[in-house]
Amino acid sequence: MATARPIRSMDPYAEQFWAYTQKNEFRLQQCTDCSKFRWPPGPTCDQCLSDAFEWAAIAGQGKVLSWTTFRRGYFQEYPAPHTVIVLELDEGPLFVSYPVDVELADLREGMVLALRWTDGEDRFGAYNLPVFGRSPA
Amino acid sequence: MAESFDRKRLAPLKDTVAIVGVGETDYAADYRGAGGRAVGKGEARYDSYTLASRALKRALDDAGLKKDEIDGLCTGPTLSGERASELWGLNPRWSGSGDAAQCIIEATMAINCGLCTTVALVYGNAQRSMDTAYGGARVTGGGITSYFYYAPWGMTSQGALYALFFQRHKLLYGTTDEQLGAIAVAFRKHACLNPNAVMQKPLTIEDYMKAPYVAEPLRLFDYCLINDGGVAIIVRRADMAKGLKQPPVMVSGIGWSEENVDATQLRPRLKDFYHTAHRGVAAQVYPMAGVTPKDVDVFATYDSFSVHLLASLEGFGFCKEGEGGPFVQNGRIEIGGQIPCNTSGGMLSESYMQSWNHQPELVRQLRGGLGARQVQGAEVAQYVHDVAGKCKSIIYTKGAE
Repeated sequence: MATARPIRSMDPYAEQFWAYTQKNEFRLQQCTDCSKFRWPPGPTCDQCLSDAFEWAAIAGQGKVLSWTTFRRGYFQEYPAPHTVIVLELDEGPLFVSYPVDVELADLREGMVLALRWTDGEDRFGAYNLPVFGRSPA
Repeated sequence: MAESFDRKRLAPLKDTVAIVGVGETDYAADYRGAGGRAVGKGEARYDSYTLASRALKRALDDAGLKKDEIDGLCTGPTLSGERASELWGLNPRWSGSGDAAQCIIEATMAINCGLCTTVALVYGNAQRSMDTAYGGARVTGGGITSYFYYAPWGMTSQGALYALFFQRHKLLYGTTDEQLGAIAVAFRKHACLNPNAVMQKPLTIEDYMKAPYVAEPLRLFDYCLINDGGVAIIVRRADMAKGLKQPPVMVSGIGWSEENVDATQLRPRLKDFYHTAHRGVAAQVYPMAGVTPKDVDVFATYDSFSVHLLASLEGFGFCKEGEGGPFVQNGRIEIGGQIPCNTSGGMLSESYMQSWNHQPELVRQLRGGLGARQVQGAEVAQYVHDVAGKCKSIIYTKGAE
């Protein structure tokens, strides 16, 4: 039984994003016409309105922009305290996730973190959740 | 990009409509309940229509108008326009809906188009009685919103979004918790001068710092109240606004600019603090009203969280970007200070009416006679609606009686 998590927001595009995570692949839609990466998943490129795209693998690295620590519990799956971070991915999009193997006191603005995987499950099924930790190198 | 609005068309709308009546429910008394005990969340006593109806009656009485003189209706997001019209026996010739600033701007447009003359703007929200949730598993809604998209990672609540905002502000500018705390302390001081404010107990900076974190770095007193209430505002064509019960307060400037690109990514929030939207609104509202931030005597901003004030003071040029922290200290934002902000106590300490309660307070400040809460010589008042990049502003001025 995978770790139960609060429910994902699902639509036909999100479904594809999460399907790749089952193979530990972090892919974002990249516009075929103008090469822009987008997040969250959706039907159209916001730069050129093209609906042609591919699911491109990303480098899996980002810089820390900000974070917050929940001192009050909101979800039974996430008892307080727990921390959420926002990263700027190398490909451009910002991404909300949580840190692993990094103490709150060690988080720094601009710190580079790398993609890790952990498991997850909700009523849509099992998947893997992209989280971020110190680079292996 | 070239300026995409037309100053020549906007300018003549200055002072073409006026606020002639305002009404609010008894926030403090309703919160305490009949027995003097605070009403628990989910302990239903009201519905939103009860509160809205009461506010409407009071606004009409304040203006000295009869309901049949209303020919336009704008309702807040918790009310259905059809049900509200039916309940109040109205067949409007024009109707709209939205937040308070949006409704004032839309009513200004509708009146100037000649579709109607006298618009009632009405809001009611029984959010305490109904135990409305603004975070966690009970939050639902249609489509993507920037916080429930990230629920699988444990991210939720409007408060956490503003915590991320403030943490970023701290990292970039060295803003301190004590500086942010000055906002909650100032608004509470104002609330203590307002008998209709829910919170009446003085708050010191020590009390603020000792209070628990909710989403760190935000503490309990950075968060707004959850209480029941209603607000109504009567907007009327300026030439029909004289000789009523109250002196008219003119709508002298309006502005609107949204910053939604990459909203779910939180880019406008964390990389720009919504300042692009602020600058877009400032370019409309100040020239139209013929004033600058230096001329503003009393200011109010949307304050579901204290952090909003930092963003709007910086974005509208009351201080430089990044200097909001030191700016809000030393009484500068208090009544008697350089720029009194949220003089009713705001949504942190008076009532969480999702921007609606700020409008009657600014109107009252311009009418005058508020005693210890009065901003002396107030002639220009500004409201800034700084909500998730949907920015609007209204400048009110004292009209001729």
